[in-house]
Amino acid sequence: MSEIVDTPPGPRTWQVSWTGLRTVAVLELRQRVRSTRWITILVIWALLLGAMTTLLHLAFRRLGQGGESEEVGAIIFGLIVYLVLSLGSLISPALSATSVNGDRSAGVLATLQTTLLTPAEIALGKLGAAWLTALAFLAVALPFLGWGFLDGGTPPGRFLITLTLLAVMLLVVCAVGLGWSAITSRTTSSAVLTYLTITFVGVGLPVLFFMLAPLVTTTERRTVRDMVSQSAVWDPRGQVWMSNEMNGDSPMVCRESFQETTVTHSERIWWLLAGNPFVVLADASPMPDGNGDDILSSIRTNVRDLRLGAPAVQDRCADWGRMRAENAAQQEKRQKQRQALNATWPYGLAVNLLLGTTFTAVAIRRLRAPAAKLPRGTRVA
Amino acid sequence: MDYALIESNDLDAGTGVVARGVRRTFGDVVAVDSMDLDVPPGRVTALVGPNGSGKTTLLLVLATLLAPDAGTVTVAGADPRTDPWEVRRRTGWMPDAFGTWETLTCREVLETVAAAYRLPRAGIRARVDELLELVHLADLADRPTQVLSRGQKQRLGLARALVHSPAVLLLDEPASGLDPRSRIELRGIVRDLATAGAAVLVSSHVLAELDTLADRAVFVSGGCTVSVRDLDVASAGPRTWTVRALDAGALERALDALGRVHGDPGVDGAVELELTGDDDAASLLSALVHDDVPVVSLRPSGGVLEQAYLSLTKERQ
Repeated sequence: MSEIVDTPPGPRTWQVSWTGLRTVAVLELRQRVRSTRWITILVIWALLLGAMTTLLHLAFRRLGQGGESEEVGAIIFGLIVYLVLSLGSLISPALSATSVNGDRSAGVLATLQTTLLTPAEIALGKLGAAWLTALAFLAVALPFLGWGFLDGGTPPGRFLITLTLLAVMLLVVCAVGLGWSAITSRTTSSAVLTYLTITFVGVGLPVLFFMLAPLVTTTERRTVRDMVSQSAVWDPRGQVWMSNEMNGDSPMVCRESFQETTVTHSERIWWLLAGNPFVVLADASPMPDGNGDDILSSIRTNVRDLRLGAPAVQDRCADWGRMRAENAAQQEKRQKQRQALNATWPYGLAVNLLLGTTFTAVAIRRLRAPAAKLPRGTRVA
Repeated sequence: MDYALIESNDLDAGTGVVARGVRRTFGDVVAVDSMDLDVPPGRVTALVGPNGSGKTTLLLVLATLLAPDAGTVTVAGADPRTDPWEVRRRTGWMPDAFGTWETLTCREVLETVAAAYRLPRAGIRARVDELLELVHLADLADRPTQVLSRGQKQRLGLARALVHSPAVLLLDEPASGLDPRSRIELRGIVRDLATAGAAVLVSSHVLAELDTLADRAVFVSGGCTVSVRDLDVASAGPRTWTVRALDAGALERALDALGRVHGDPGVDGAVELELTGDDDAASLLSALVHDDVPVVSLRPSGGVLEQAYLSLTKERQ
């Protein structure tokens, strides 16, 4: 009697050949093209994007009559990028989240497993087919992204980088779907779990960030700049500015004091936001020349601000618009600090790639045969 | 063996299938308790047993899909657990629960499987044509498989199992859903493969369909091998025959006179009795004719397998 081992795979589990990949991908794509009304779905997708892009243009043309057309172009481009990313993340799970357990329940997975295809070829072939389908959706979105780009205000580098990252993010979503479809036996479970995973990264982590913010908020002594009347005097005991003026007609000035104040140490938890696909896209795309009021630029600026944490000098004067000139030095210093930071997106991209790779590896392991253990409720064939 | 391509398959089944003490459980359920099985090359072995006796699970172990909990298995000279690739290269498996890529045509299904077995690209088209011809699906080659009847799907499944010219063939309930003509053709294909040297295992619980197909039978029940019979020997051994005459009374009197133990005549006047092999049957017939009994027919009642199966269950009672 031979010894029983839990890991029966041959050394070929992870081996991949071009022929094997192509065989699986072609099989998947053929079935997909023939069994779904994919032309209809692509047309609906195009109409949806077209309608929303047109509405954006109409809205900004009316609102932004006074503004620079380039700024409006950058704003519209950013919004379309996020629209494509959100809708693409909604569609992509449907492309891969049933690919393994669906085949299993249809009784066709074992047919592939008993051939000389390796588990890696089966998993990656399915992933490739799902990704190519997702890229078809991206290709249909291209004219609308191009429209936003042609409005001006978007550097060509930003256009190319966002497009590339959109493709990568859709690949990650497809990989998550593939992984769940290999883990669960029911196709509905894998679809739901895929949506939950994607929503967690896209929405859950930012929510978690804001929920954790009070926990990293402390009371510390800091230099604070306040707008006070010229005659005001700092009272260290009461921790307030005292003024003996009754009518308060002295001019307001910006004055420093050393006082207790609440400081949110966002630099301790900023990384919760780094993996978010929307943040990755925003952080990776080069800034346009303008004031950076578009959604991509402002998310990039804000996340880097959170990463720096509260400034050493808390500047409440900055809230007073008319005093802006006085604080220009402070603002500039902060901007220099932001620019000195390493880019945030490589972390985020790495997190996403790790997520995708992990789920793909799980799928490959689950496709190994002969299986010692089976997922609950599944039949082999 | 080269991983990339199979140049030709020499039908070298090695020792065929040799399984000893195979056990496989699913949680608390013991699907296969302890099975021994030999499928020698050049012969067709039937795996016979009632529903739920563990036939399909054993086939899944042989087809490299399930790892056994205990026991040793060799298929075409390789261990499915440690070297599944070698086993797959030489083994064709036709599952019972039948799934097929519904939107693909018959030709595309076979081409896909051929590519998955890494057959040389140049030869795939000819091989697929040959197989479609073999299972009589050539006229349906370019129709999607969802329009096929159950029997046609079974035939496609057989072609799929044969794509890479396997030396070991595992057929799980191959004849279910087949019309009589297709059954006869299946028998022809399977017998030809065995003659060419393949080791063939056919599972079924329908005994009649295995009778003319198999050389040997392995009986399983409750996850255990209970008996192994050589069917040539079985047909030479004692078995029940049915004899019918125009005059049931004359038949009974003649049999009594010959000292033959027999049952009571049935509604049609047929009488059952035990005979030992064909020689015994021939001598009884000539004796009856000599006694002027108007004999209409003398034939074995039921198939060899059916009788073997029944005698087996009798032994166990």
